Amino acid sequence: MQLILRNIPRFFHTSTPKALAAEKSALGTLRKKTGYTFTNCKKALEMHSNDIEKAEEWLKQQAQALGWSKATKLEGRQTTQGLIGVAIDNNNGVLVEINCETDFVARNVEFENMVKEAAESCLNYLKNTQKSGNSITKVGLDADQLKTLKASDGKSLADKLALMIGTVGENASLKRAIGIRVNNGIYLTGYAHPSGKATSNILLGRIGSLLAIKNLNPENPKIEELAKGICQHVVGLAPKAIGHIDAKPAENKEEETNLIHQEYLLDDSLTVKELLEENQLEVVDFRRFECGENVEINQ
Amino acid sequence: MPHCNQPKTMRFWGLFRVLVQPQRPQLASQCQFCLTRSRFFSSQPQPDRKNVNIGTIGHVDHGKTTLTAAITKYLHKKGLAKYVPYGEIDKAPEEKARGITINACHVGYSTERRTYAHTDCPGHADYIKNMISGASQMDGAVLVVAATDGQMPQTREHLLLAKQVGVSKIIVYINKTDLVDAEVLELVELEIRELLEDFGFDGAHCPLIFGSALEALEGQDTERGTKSIQKLLDALDSYIPYPERDCKSPFMLPIDNTFSVSGRGTVVVGTLTRGTLKKNAEAELLGFDLSLKTTVSDIQAFKQSLPEVRAGDHVGALVRNVKLKDIKRGMVLCAPKSLKLSNRFKASIYFLTKGEGGRSKPIANKYCQQLFSQTWTVPCRIDLDDDVTMLMPGEYGNVKLTLLWKMVMSPGQQFTVRENNFTVATGIVTETMPDVEVKGKLHLVD
Ligand SMILES: Nc1nc2c(ncn2[C@@H]2O[C@H](COP(=O)(O)OP(=O)(O)O)[C@@H](O)[C@H]2O)c(=O)[nH]1
Ligand SMILES: [Mg+2]
Repeated sequence: MQLILRNIPRFFHTSTPKALAAEKSALGTLRKKTGYTFTNCKKALEMHSNDIEKAEEWLKQQAQALGWSKATKLEGRQTTQGLIGVAIDNNNGVLVEINCETDFVARNVEFENMVKEAAESCLNYLKNTQKSGNSITKVGLDADQLKTLKASDGKSLADKLALMIGTVGENASLKRAIGIRVNNGIYLTGYAHPSGKATSNILLGRIGSLLAIKNLNPENPKIEELAKGICQHVVGLAPKAIGHIDAKPAENKEEETNLIHQEYLLDDSLTVKELLEENQLEVVDFRRFECGENVEINQ
Repeated sequence: MPHCNQPKTMRFWGLFRVLVQPQRPQLASQCQFCLTRSRFFSSQPQPDRKNVNIGTIGHVDHGKTTLTAAITKYLHKKGLAKYVPYGEIDKAPEEKARGITINACHVGYSTERRTYAHTDCPGHADYIKNMISGASQMDGAVLVVAATDGQMPQTREHLLLAKQVGVSKIIVYINKTDLVDAEVLELVELEIRELLEDFGFDGAHCPLIFGSALEALEGQDTERGTKSIQKLLDALDSYIPYPERDCKSPFMLPIDNTFSVSGRGTVVVGTLTRGTLKKNAEAELLGFDLSLKTTVSDIQAFKQSLPEVRAGDHVGALVRNVKLKDIKRGMVLCAPKSLKLSNRFKASIYFLTKGEGGRSKPIANKYCQQLFSQTWTVPCRIDLDDDVTMLMPGEYGNVKLTLLWKMVMSPGQQFTVRENNFTVATGIVTETMPDVEVKGKLHLVD
């Protein structure tokens, strides 16, 4: 069944007279090649007396301007959907949030690529910041700071975002990012949910977390697995703080917001505190981003 | 829902007066069932207009809301709809279906032939929740594409969604044709038909209408204007299939109730969901690990003994050589070998948020709770898809169900999951899988 259906497009595409016409038509070719809207393709051809190459050239030059004009037009429209990007590179890790209008766009590869690009830029920025004297350095970025970061091709993230807005035709915004740098001896890990398919070292999801953890027993063989588990716990149970060992746990377990007093997500027969003690681990810090949540000031 | 409010129904079996009490309180919104029933219970002949569920999908700004408003305005003039102005459509408040909050706008209108329930949701998640909650099973969709833009990158996501919610019939409305020339229209059509084919829809033949929702809304009686709306309605009437009552398949009767009539034997009561049941038909009773052979020696419906009944009828069937204690609510009476008992199913499921009365914590694998469906309850284990590590409250996903006993569940059948008597999840079955050995220990099965 699948096979038959797969064959129809080819049949349809090449053998109807209309399809042939489309391939011959300059507008059809330009649209297919560039993916820009019909209105823009048409305008480009009119300006260059139907010369496809010149029109394409012009469209590429204009892409940035067209993107910006679209972005300006859509500015102010609510963006509550989107993705969290989580990127880790040894001692450096970042969380970044980018929003869009609908979850359809959040599922589209154009948007995913934008989030990856932003996560990458944040990671680069983080690596070039001064370490503080502490064992852990945190850098928070707000929307305006994010806009000025440079992507791999030298363009600003704001430019990149405008290009993407031009392509998907929906408003989008850079919301926030946080970077964590740790000194040697502290293990850094990240988690994104839903996990989906990771295509690079950057994870994408609706919720993301970073966790810095100290290994008090260097022989501990399971650190990687345990850290991942606690990071997943942070995503799943949304603790607000690490909490003090001596502090009294909340009376209602459901309302416990201190990480160490919560029941461990992956084994509710023990608390996170018990898990940490058993494995000689100490949580140094964590961060959790949930897409669309109201943010108090970070850091 | 008239049926659900109907407290008790007196029915007759031979000389015996029997109290049949439709007990399905927790599933009060299973409308499909209720509708079939109310049709049966009412003595008035029902108008022969069929109800069809459709939805609009398409890029933000391509004109979905304008089109919806234009349809109601056009039909309002014909006395077939209440006009819903543009500004009221997007303002629709959140609704609740089976405890789930869904962001959706529902508009109703009629053609000469059918009534339509038209749904417009802002996002993918809302359509999925709509499907899982059974708020309205979409029979078809109208894909709105603005000719100025053509399809967008995320049109792919729109079509994937349509597939996911089981829509196979798509009608395309190319909007904003007032702003482009004929060459563009031709290319927009070509592109969208090709894309539809790529996603397994009948792109080569599906109806495609050029129009301007804005002109139609302004009441202009032009080809692009109101005439395009009429064309769209004609296409809906002819291209979207109406879910017919299936009287041809092997019969199936989920059992709501059982009782015995002294001197005659055991009677099972329920609504025939498909097929035609004839007197003296060979049959099987399936459910709770049991499979019993029997013969239907008498059928009663509409307060009389009948030689045959059809899908949609609420009936009592006298089953030969079956003891009352051997059967119960939740079993299915069906044609021999037509249905399979199994304890493993694939399903789509949505976990309610804390605000919706659901859990506060995510679930991971091997989650064991009570599963309710139709008239029965069975302990069940829920396993997530391999690449999913957890499901948070407010999320949906694909899961495998393992029941403690073998039951009959058909694709499309709804169920809920309860913890301590609170509904925490709702879902629908998508596929029956081969059964596995459980031996009373759900958590040990792999
Ligand atoms: N020129 C023109 N504009 C239209 C047409 N249909 C809708 N619009 C405009 O396009 C914009 C978006 O329409 P709307 O119905 O809100 O789109 P939705 O986001 O898909 O619901 C509005 O400003 C409409 O007035 C049309 O046929 N022609
Ligand atoms: Mg709208």
